[in-house]
Amino acid sequence: MTEYRDLDNKYTAGFSTNVESEDFAPGLDVDVIKRLSAIKNEPEWVTEFRLKSFEHLQKIQEPNWANVNYNPIDYQSLSYYSAPKIRSKEDIPQEILDTFDKLGVPLHERDSLLGIEDTNKIPTVAVDAVFDSVSIATTFQEELKRHGIIFCSMSEAIQEHSELVKEYLGSVVPPKDNYFACLNSAVFTDGTFCYIPPGVKCPMELNTYFRINARNTGQFERTLIIADADSYVSYLEGCTAPAYDENTLHAAVVELVTHDRAEIKYSTVQNWYPGDENGVGGVLNFVTKRGLCKGESSKISWTQVETGSAVTWKYPSCILRGNNSIGEFYSVAVTKGKQQADTGTKMFHVGKNTKSTIISKGISFGDSSNTYRGMVRINKSAKESRNYTQCDSLMLDNSKALTLPVVMQYNNNSIVEHEASTGKLSEDALYYLQSRGFSEEDAVNCIVSGFCKDVFQHLPLEFAAEANKLLSVTLEGAVG
Amino acid sequence: MLVTQEFTVKVDGNIILDDLHLDFGPGIHVVMGPNGVGKSTFAHALMGNPKYQTEGAVQIDGKDLMCLETHERAQAGLFLSFQHPTPIEGLSNFQFLRQAIKTSSIANSLSTYRELLSEFNLPEGFERKSLNVEASGGEQKKNEIIQMLMLDPKVAILDEPDSGLDVDAINVLSKQLTKFANQQNKTLIVITHYQQLIEKLSPESITIFKNKRAKQFDDISIAYEILENGFGIDV
Repeated sequence: MTEYRDLDNKYTAGFSTNVESEDFAPGLDVDVIKRLSAIKNEPEWVTEFRLKSFEHLQKIQEPNWANVNYNPIDYQSLSYYSAPKIRSKEDIPQEILDTFDKLGVPLHERDSLLGIEDTNKIPTVAVDAVFDSVSIATTFQEELKRHGIIFCSMSEAIQEHSELVKEYLGSVVPPKDNYFACLNSAVFTDGTFCYIPPGVKCPMELNTYFRINARNTGQFERTLIIADADSYVSYLEGCTAPAYDENTLHAAVVELVTHDRAEIKYSTVQNWYPGDENGVGGVLNFVTKRGLCKGESSKISWTQVETGSAVTWKYPSCILRGNNSIGEFYSVAVTKGKQQADTGTKMFHVGKNTKSTIISKGISFGDSSNTYRGMVRINKSAKESRNYTQCDSLMLDNSKALTLPVVMQYNNNSIVEHEASTGKLSEDALYYLQSRGFSEEDAVNCIVSGFCKDVFQHLPLEFAAEANKLLSVTLEGAVG
Repeated sequence: MLVTQEFTVKVDGNIILDDLHLDFGPGIHVVMGPNGVGKSTFAHALMGNPKYQTEGAVQIDGKDLMCLETHERAQAGLFLSFQHPTPIEGLSNFQFLRQAIKTSSIANSLSTYRELLSEFNLPEGFERKSLNVEASGGEQKKNEIIQMLMLDPKVAILDEPDSGLDVDAINVLSKQLTKFANQQNKTLIVITHYQQLIEKLSPESITIFKNKRAKQFDDISIAYEILENGFGIDV
């Protein structure tokens, strides 16, 4: 029998940056929210949105149905705003530039993403870099503007495109949706706003990179992407955080809207700090992501590779309202050490002839726990709809894997398929590869990346390379 | 060259093979024996499968294998063609081979791979298929031999490489094995039940496994005697 030892901690993004910042003292009340809104010079409707959300927040409780355990969060001990002192966008402190450089995030338009040497074939990527509570740089804005595309920080969008933001903000994830979405609606700081006008295929990948740096500060970013009729955009999200001993709360809200025949492809490589081998520290990743296929024949596709965070609570979902619309969810969730993930998706079929596909791959090592939680709901109105769900889990050591699919079908002319498999990493497969000269680590890597192939193939090319690299770093030392 | 001395194999404390003294020099050697006698066990124990506990000595060209892990034995020049190759979903033949040849300093380049695929008459796009998944038994066997030819080991043990192969494939197989063994200092140990293959390979020796023991014969006529009269004959 092969024995697996405890993993080493190989989290390479765990450094912190020393930078002068403007922080709010810990605490959350109406005044804090008003100050936050004032410092961002927000129009009244945003302040109202925040205050109403906060009012509702007092009446509700954190959800406790997820298969995760963590120490109670003291919301009054968190700071709700931390911004590095930046005089202007041309004068970003060198420490911050170095931070993103070290993380491989290009803040100069000449750079390509993710350190791939052959730049000829790599499509250009526009980046919005968010450092704690503020967006510090957004690249290629001018070029995107020529196509009528808006790609900017949420703060900027609220100033410059207030009507557009007002129309959509909270339209997919209402503030009262759940506790963390409500909290976010009250205190959201920055994030990304994208608008793709009718008929435009976005000529480059849009990428937001979220970096938590400050201690004891919650990160509450808000992302809103709107694809108008016949448009297309591929959006990438990456995230890391320093290795602190305390838990860091990350409660984001992402809303996507597609109009007639539009498509949004949303890819995430989530690598928040997972905590140390004893489960100390790490990011609590409590995120609400939802897409609305508002228009006919529109499409929203979520692809996520989740390797980080101490606790993940996240269910990127699709509401398939337009007839013939399509929702997809492709997920790889890797947990090791003491990590806990409760993740999956919801597909709400409302329109006729709507289709959804769910492929979820859970991989768990050590003492971690990995839960797939999914819901497929086919309304009476969603005539002749289809869903295909495949959930596979791969386990090592003492880890736990749980699959909790729910299907609700309210008509009799739709088809729902579900396949699931659960297995230990095969000793035979390991031995076979070892007999061909593969070290145990390489063998595990090949088996796991083969297991994830159905998901990785949906990632944009350069992101797939990054995901594979991240996966092998994550597996490094997980076996021995 | 592969030499075993006092080589004993146990599973869960039970002796399966006892005190084997075998000497496989350059060239082709055939291993025979009744079903369940431990021929495959012998092959996998040499490869270092952790299921088996082994004692004694095993050397390749004077290099001790006993203290090495499976992948180190492979890197030292030992290859085992599996009777039942293990399927690995999502890992394409090409990716697998690209990684595998990195582990061997003398492996052939990937350009040879295409030639071998067509030589063995494997279907278009085979290299993109998952390893040993959705391939017929015969295709898997061919693939094992292609891997051997690509990795160019010093010593290869082939566990029933002929089972599941059609007549044409047997011809390609014997041709390729002979070509391989004709190189300097290459040792091929072939476990088989088939007269046809034994005739084509004209081996240097025949080793008969029986009652936990193995006996090696330089006179290969013993093989034909067994094929005619069965393993009941007194060896």
